[in-house]
Amino acid sequence: MPEPVIRVDRVTKRFAGHTAVRDLSLEVSPGVIHGLLGPNGAGKSTTIRMMMDIIEPDEGRISLFGGSAGGRDLSARIGFLPEERGLYKKMKVLDHLVFLAEVKGVPRRAAQARSAEWLDRLGLGDWAQKRIEDLSKGMQQKVQFTGTVLHDPELLILDEPFSGLDPVNSKLLRDATVAFARQGHTVLFSTHIMEHAEQMCDHVTIISRGLKVVDGPLREIKREGGQRHVALRFHRDAARATPVLRDHRYVATLEDHGASAELELAPGADPDDLLQALVASGAGLSRFEVVEPSLQAIFIARVGAEAARAAALPEAAA
Amino acid sequence: MRKVWAVVRREFLERVRTKAFLIGTFLGPVFIAGIMVLPALLMRQSSTKRIVVLDAAEGGFGDRIAETLRSATFGDDSTGEPRFQVTHLRAEGRLDAKRDSLIAMTDRRDLGEARIDGLLIVTEDALARDSLEYLGGNAGSVAEMGSLQRILRQVALTEKLARSGIDPLLLAQTMRPLTVVTAKVNRGELTGQSGESTFLLAYAMAFVLYIALILYGMQVMTSTVEEKTSRINEVLVSSLRPYELMLGKVIGVGSVGLLQMAIWGGTAWLLASNRTRIAAMMGADATQAATLPIPDISGGVILVLLIFFVLGFFFYSAAYAAVGSTCNTVQETQQAQIPITLLVVLGLISIFRLLDDPNSSFARIMSLVPPVAPFVTPVRNSLSPLPLTELLLSIAVMVLGVMAMAWIAGRIYRTGILMYGKRASLREVFRWIRAG
Repeated sequence: MPEPVIRVDRVTKRFAGHTAVRDLSLEVSPGVIHGLLGPNGAGKSTTIRMMMDIIEPDEGRISLFGGSAGGRDLSARIGFLPEERGLYKKMKVLDHLVFLAEVKGVPRRAAQARSAEWLDRLGLGDWAQKRIEDLSKGMQQKVQFTGTVLHDPELLILDEPFSGLDPVNSKLLRDATVAFARQGHTVLFSTHIMEHAEQMCDHVTIISRGLKVVDGPLREIKREGGQRHVALRFHRDAARATPVLRDHRYVATLEDHGASAELELAPGADPDDLLQALVASGAGLSRFEVVEPSLQAIFIARVGAEAARAAALPEAAA
Repeated sequence: MRKVWAVVRREFLERVRTKAFLIGTFLGPVFIAGIMVLPALLMRQSSTKRIVVLDAAEGGFGDRIAETLRSATFGDDSTGEPRFQVTHLRAEGRLDAKRDSLIAMTDRRDLGEARIDGLLIVTEDALARDSLEYLGGNAGSVAEMGSLQRILRQVALTEKLARSGIDPLLLAQTMRPLTVVTAKVNRGELTGQSGESTFLLAYAMAFVLYIALILYGMQVMTSTVEEKTSRINEVLVSSLRPYELMLGKVIGVGSVGLLQMAIWGGTAWLLASNRTRIAAMMGADATQAATLPIPDISGGVILVLLIFFVLGFFFYSAAYAAVGSTCNTVQETQQAQIPITLLVVLGLISIFRLLDDPNSSFARIMSLVPPVAPFVTPVRNSLSPLPLTELLLSIAVMVLGVMAMAWIAGRIYRTGILMYGKRASLREVFRWIRAG
């Protein structure tokens, strides 16, 4: 079993008034894309900052690359994208990237070459000589992302990297992240957008109010949900299906998205019976599929509908 | 070290490439030049004045006045333009009438060439009463009336002497004032420096130091706070050690300061050494410009000033950086920086005590106190060159002071830059220093 890149061992962190992280343990394996999920305020950023040695845990310890050196000492091997984006507004884009690379120890010439390459790859080639403040928020985020990977770190830690991006840019950065990981690097990123995690992660840890709720390979987690979930889509009149969906003989929990829905069958219920009832309702089925639960559904089931509602604001899933 | 250099380069280029820097650096010398040349420019007499000498005196006094006025020139040398165009009129018993009619023609631009600029009335008893009357459009000009008075006094003196039978030439020789040439003696050794210029130099040096420390020290402070507010600190902290960041910032800003000072200083020196030529080009009174006591500055004095500028800058900008790291907005820093700035002011004020006696025990002690030493030692050195041992001792103390300040400031800085929220209290700050 290869040495985990990050090991969090029974870590607790308290701030005045509340406990942000409670007895948390997790491991990030090398070469893996690991998602740290949870609603806003769950303790994801706090955990990440403790990994980066920006704050210190009150109890427990964190070990990186199997050693005792802190996140700040290993800066050359780690790329960190904090939740609060920060760039020098008045600097030119290319100069800024070169600066970020140099500050990680990359020699000047290599820094210049790599920066130019990444700018082209992310469609920012024309903006190299503009000031950061002239760029849109999405472009700035792309620049900041680039700054994080320029020094080719073994471990990438991203705190809410895709929030606030439009669908196109979000996809671009997600693809870049996956490509980066496939080169053999380890990626840990936090998010509250379940769809992203579902698409990208090999391994997932869900925390809520400082406590770990779910932890394991994504595939296993979904399989554990059993084959009791059904994904539905209506094309004629979704409202007609409502009485069926509210019937507790068929449905244990329901996620109603209006024209589509995902539900968990009630214990003992036969999916065929549900199918018959829905067809009879006249709502017009365009999809009826027995599926593994989505991460969103698992999350809701484990964490509760309230937390899920909080997670749904303010960003829509990309 | 490469990382520190990356920060230095960034801080330096970001400041030097701005319009503000270019304007400040090049406008500065223009400003200095203006101060030097403008007064002379403003006060010069621009054109030849038409004077009428209304003569009611006897014995040729009036004639001699007219003659002297005719030969007066700008710049007081024979190649200059004549100051006056003189018309000599005898009163012939009708002083008042002629006076009135002449007044009517005075300061009348509409008369063109026939106008009179001024009227000098020489009464019978002028010499006895030591009084002449001048009526003219330019009576309000301090410079012109001053010149006129100077010239006329000379004529009066010569006249009185002649009438008493004393040979004016003999008297001129006798009346030549005695000059006392001053030279500083330092501890039994002749130094070869004159009196007043050294005062100016000492004061100028202290003032420049004062301005530079505050101006650039504050830039380090605001830069630190701005990095906090723009949140770029979290990225920086994951890449650099805080002391690398602080050091790079101090060196970067300091270099900008040195560059700007060098440009200003160089321009000032250029202007000063060519001041008479420049004044002449502008048509101003060259003699006046020449009398400005610009001191000769020796290389040794400059070197000591530079050393203490660098040491003082490290000392104070580390303090300013620490202050900046405890604040969250630029406004908060305005209050927080007061103690540091007061220390700098203290340094400036302390030099006044030195001017009377640069080698008193007070002065000696002050050279060994790091916050004020950057002012005290260079100023003492310019007034009375210090022996090498004293200089080295002061430098050593300063270096120790810088190291201590850097250590304390570093501790505050590394915690402060990641602390958001309420501005840290003094007690908290002490905890940061101890915890490390």
